[in-house]
Parts: sequence; structure tokens; C-alpha cells
Amino acid sequence: MLQFTINLLIMASIAAIVASSLNLLIGYTGVFSIAHAIFYGVGAYATALVSLHWGSSLLLALVVALVSSGVLSVLLALPAARVTGEYFVVVSLAFALVASTVFAQWTPVTGGPAGLVGISRATLFGIGLNSNESYLVLSLALLALVTVILYVLIRHTPLGRSLQALRDDPLAAQALGKNPFRLRLTAVVISAALASTGGVVYAGYIAFVNADGFGEQGGVLFMAMVILGGAGTLSGPIIGAFFITLFPALLEFADLPSQAKGPLEQIIYGAALVLLMLVRPSGIAGIFSALSPGHWRRARAVAGADAGRQPVTGVPVPGEYTPTGGAA
Amino acid sequence: MTSPMLELTGVKKSFGGNHVIPGLDLTLNAGEVTALIGPNGAGKTTIFNLITGFLRPDEGQVVYKGENLHGVTPEGIFRKGLVRTFQEVRVFGGITVLENVLVGREHGFRSWRATKRNTAAAMETLQLVGLDRKVHVMARDLSYAEQKFLSLARVLASDAELLLLDEPTSGLDGRSLDLVTALIPRLHEMGRTVLIIEHNLDVVRSIAERIVFLESGRVIATGTGDELFARQDLADIYFGGGVQ
Repeated sequence: MLQFTINLLIMASIAAIVASSLNLLIGYTGVFSIAHAIFYGVGAYATALVSLHWGSSLLLALVVALVSSGVLSVLLALPAARVTGEYFVVVSLAFALVASTVFAQWTPVTGGPAGLVGISRATLFGIGLNSNESYLVLSLALLALVTVILYVLIRHTPLGRSLQALRDDPLAAQALGKNPFRLRLTAVVISAALASTGGVVYAGYIAFVNADGFGEQGGVLFMAMVILGGAGTLSGPIIGAFFITLFPALLEFADLPSQAKGPLEQIIYGAALVLLMLVRPSGIAGIFSALSPGHWRRARAVAGADAGRQPVTGVPVPGEYTPTGGAA
Repeated sequence: MTSPMLELTGVKKSFGGNHVIPGLDLTLNAGEVTALIGPNGAGKTTIFNLITGFLRPDEGQVVYKGENLHGVTPEGIFRKGLVRTFQEVRVFGGITVLENVLVGREHGFRSWRATKRNTAAAMETLQLVGLDRKVHVMARDLSYAEQKFLSLARVLASDAELLLLDEPTSGLDGRSLDLVTALIPRLHEMGRTVLIIEHNLDVVRSIAERIVFLESGRVIATGTGDELFARQDLADIYFGGGVQ
């Protein structure tokens, strides 16, 4: 039971890393990409290849994964970042289809449909991460690191502010000197690089990599995690990833008729998702946010200070002006 | 004698068969406050879009400080020193009031080192428009009037020399109108050049040094408020002949 729980938590943490990185696009840049699982896959394949050819160093695997996914993401972003909305979705879908075919068919590199086996557990500063517990710590630590990186980027950098401005109003952002193409390109590269770190943990933990889960289906699943949890919040994708990973496992414990267990689980799972989106479109994080004391503090801040607005100090209103309203 | 800052020469723009700007010549002098007025459909906002790169002229040229702006993107035009507001409120709702203003001041890697200076400048501007007590409020939570002021604050806080303000007083109550009307001469004192589209003729009369009257995309009169508002023919065009 303990190992089962640890396994679930590791998989949920990995999913949370990928979903959080995707949130940089969906939640903070306003770009909906179905291609994101590719970069998770690139991280996994990069780790597998590093492990099979150069050894089990975690840091080397991370560097190779970050660089390769970053470079590959430019290929997606160059055509896709010129378009927005549903057009970006279509371009990313095409990219996901091509990439999943490459993963499955480029046998000399990816092992083809059979995948790559014999990936060893990673070592960090000479210490082997051989137990599942050590991988749980690694996945949680990496999730924390990705979250901190995103927090700093979004809340404390000009780039983060510019991305959110672009998300909220591309025209107004352009009028204030923001280049939409360059900003989207930057966001895609950063989010792809961060997603690949999830693949690094995954490949080392499972010790096997094939194309499953790195195509458009995986992309849709990660998108669901972001939206369900709450796009545009740091906690939302983490909550969404844990919910989507853990909820089917929790249903295993429900007392369902054995012959219909599989389909019933799917129906309950789907109905729960639909219900949640209907009741709380801002995601699960929106529920927590509405219940938190901070929500009421913010509400008071909005309500307050109206009386503070005064005409510009020291500048007299021109004498001939009388506020009689507009002519048109 | 003031020097020309912006010159539009022979500018034409059509949408399908509709010649919105059939041929426009317009000059703005540095440091002046100029108002563009005219009835609805006169092409005022189209002219803003042509100047700021959101539309490209079919013919003619837009020259800013001697440089032809043909083919320059809106963000490129901002970097040359022109900034605009929009007729509708366009704030970045998902970030705070302060962050909205910072967006207009932060460009390139140098801005990473200048956050403190940019924040101080942003705070000063927010104080000017009376939003200094709401700096950490999400822009989407502001009232309509406050969002209008935030739009103004963003362009004021930028380092742009030429400000294009598209109906900054529309939808504002009397007190807010006072604030905007007092603010624009202040910009003038700061050496900014202002081109403003405004329907409120009281505001236009009180702030504009020069008024350009447009009809159907053509300049049909230019002058001071006293000169233009005395002309019955312009009043007839503006009010459709129904108001004296």
C-alpha cells in the first residue's frame, strides 16, 4: 500500500511539473498548446539516451533535456507564435501528431514502438537515487523548484508582466511596445524546457520510455489538468494534476459492481469533471481562493480608497470649463 | 515657431469600396495639444490607427521626426516615441494597477535592472491620476472610470513624447472629467505633445491649443477653439444641423 501511494504521488508530481510549465502558456500568455507533451517526451528520451550512452548523471540528463527541448520548441514556436487562439491550437496539434510519429518510428534513436529499455536510476553528486522514496523526494523537489521559477518569473520580472499583458489584451500590449511574436516564442521555449524536467524524472523512475503519452492525447490531458485546477494560478495546475492522477485511483476503492467497474469509473470521472467546470469554471484553485481570508482582504482593498481620488494637485481646472457633458 | 513633429501627407485609406480617409494632410507641432473633432464616422480613430501602425495607409506617408513610419509595427512605433490609448477601455485585467503601468515602462533586458526607478515613476503617475491607493488591486476590479484613468496612467508613465488619446473622457462623471481636463494641460507643461480625439466640446475648448475639424476623412477646418466654435457651418456639420 505504501509503495502504491508513493508511486501515485511520484506520477502526480511529474504531471504537476508538466502542467505547471504548460500553465505558463495557457494561464499567463493566453496560448493554448496541445503539443506540450512532446517536450515532456523529449526530456524522457533525452534522459534515456544519456543513461544508455553516457551514464546516470541526473544533472547531465537535465542539461541535455533542457537544451534539446528548448531548441525543439523553437521549431514549434516559429510558425505557431505568429498566430493566436484556435490557430495556435491547430498548429500545435499538427506538431504533436508529427512528433508522436517521430517518437514511434525513429527506431535508431527512440527505439521505435518498442521504446528504450534499461534506463538506470539517476545519480546526483555520486549518490544513487535507487529507492522509490528518493524519487518521490526528487519529483517533489523539482516540482517546488519549477513552481518557484514560475512564481519569480510571473510576479517579479518584466517578462512575466509583459506575458500577462499580452494575454489580457494583445493590441494594448503592442501599443505599449510589446512584440507578441517574440514574447510567445520566449514563453514557449521556457515552458518546453521546464516540461522536459518532468520527463527526466519519469524516464529514470519507470526505467522505460516509449511514445505512449507524449503525443496529442498527453497534450490534452495536461491541458485538462491546467484548466481543471485553475489556469493562471500557481497552485491550480498542481491541484489539477494531483486530482486527475489520484481520482481514478481513489475510485478503485469505491464499492462498484466488478463487471461494470471500468466504464463506471470513467463515467463518474467524466461527470465529476463536467460538474466542476459548470460550478466553478475558474477551477479547483478558484474554490480554495474564494474561501481564503486573502480573498476578503482583496475585496476590501477593491472597495476602499475611492474617497482618495482627488483632482491633480496644484493644477487648476480651466475657468471656462463647465461640466455640462459631451456634445456627441 | 514650433517644429513639426508628425506629418501626414496624402494619406488615403479604404475598406472595400468605402473611402474612409480619401486624402489627408495633417501636421502636428512639438509641444502642442491638438484636438481632432468631427462627427461620428469622420475617420478620427482610423487616423490614430494609421499613425500608430495598426493600419497601413493605401497611399501617402506618415512621417515622425523626419522618419517615414511605413511598415513599422505598432510596437516599433511605440519605441520611436508615440503612444496611444484606445476608445474602449483596454486595461490588463489580470495584473495589478501598478503592474499595468510598469508594462509601459519596461522594455528589453535593461528594464530588469531599473525596476526600482520604474516603480517610482509608475507610483508618481498613479498619484497624478488618483490611483495611488489602489496600486495592488487587480485592474479588472476597478470601476470603469478608474480603468480609464489607468489607461491614461500607462501612457503618461511611458517615456513617449507624442501621446494620442482617444476619447479619454467618454463615460466619465463630472469629477472624473475635471481630473482629465486638469491633467492634459499638465502634460503640456511637461513638454509632451498631445493629439486628442474628444467629443466633449467643453473639454476640447479648455485644453486644445489647436483644433482640427474632420468630416468624411478630410480636414475641413483648423484653428483655435474661439475661431472654430464661432462658425455656424461647422456646428451644422457637427450637430447635423439640428443644434445651434
